[in-house]
Amino acid sequence: MMLNFFDQFMSPVLLGIPLIALALLLPWILFPNPAARWINNRLITLQGWSISQTTHQLFTPLNQGGHKWATLLISLMIFLISLNLLGLLPYTFTPTTQLSLNMAFAVPLWLATVIVGLRNQPTIALGHLLPEGTPLPLIPVLIIIETISLFIRPLALGVRLTANLTAGHLLIQLIATAVFVLLPLMPTVAILTASVLFLLTLLEVAVAMIQAYVFILLLSLYLQENV
Amino acid sequence: MPQLNPAPWLSILVFSWFVFLFVIPPKVLNHSFMNEPAPQSAEKPKFNPWNWPWY
Repeated sequence: MMLNFFDQFMSPVLLGIPLIALALLLPWILFPNPAARWINNRLITLQGWSISQTTHQLFTPLNQGGHKWATLLISLMIFLISLNLLGLLPYTFTPTTQLSLNMAFAVPLWLATVIVGLRNQPTIALGHLLPEGTPLPLIPVLIIIETISLFIRPLALGVRLTANLTAGHLLIQLIATAVFVLLPLMPTVAILTASVLFLLTLLEVAVAMIQAYVFILLLSLYLQENV
Repeated sequence: MPQLNPAPWLSILVFSWFVFLFVIPPKVLNHSFMNEPAPQSAEKPKFNPWNWPWY
């Protein structure tokens, strides 16, 4: 039975309980409910500050209609960032490596932006399929291309997040295995590999946050076109 | 790749949307934000005293 590095992504089950349920329910313990006070403790103040800054950054380019999506998109942001970052701890399971979860969020939310656009401003929404200034003979081809790119968006959204996190976790496991195997044989090389592992982990922390942000940002851009 | 096994897809979808709709938004919405303290303007606003009776 060959050592299979992909086994870390199997949805874990312990005594018949799917542990992904725990992985999805427990991170919110780290986000205490603010009490009805003007000044809260440091943790809540920091979380509130980051929530308000993110909201401001994301929704300034959107018009009033788009602001209705604030709760949804900020909740999604908190969801993805916490799951991504907590997954970098040893022995944790990252639900966002599951394609099912990422597609479960990408497809309905993208579809919602498209339907909102088609319902409220159908001409403008369909007009996005043809960039301005296209030469006349290119128009049919370009409409087909833009339609394809429109339908690829949810797929790209889901797969981008899945692939980035899966690849990161795989690399960490590979290099950690290499360090572990090299330690009795060539300690110097093992130490160099360990420093690579350290840098990689820093990269993965950044990737975790950036990928969550990119997901939300792209959704807000799709919203901006349609609202 | 084990992620492509379609068996838990529906339960993962249902459970993650449950958490996303019912657990996180109350926590996010409970954060309230104060207005920035504004410096008092130099001129006090003109006000008219109340001179009409209660009906």
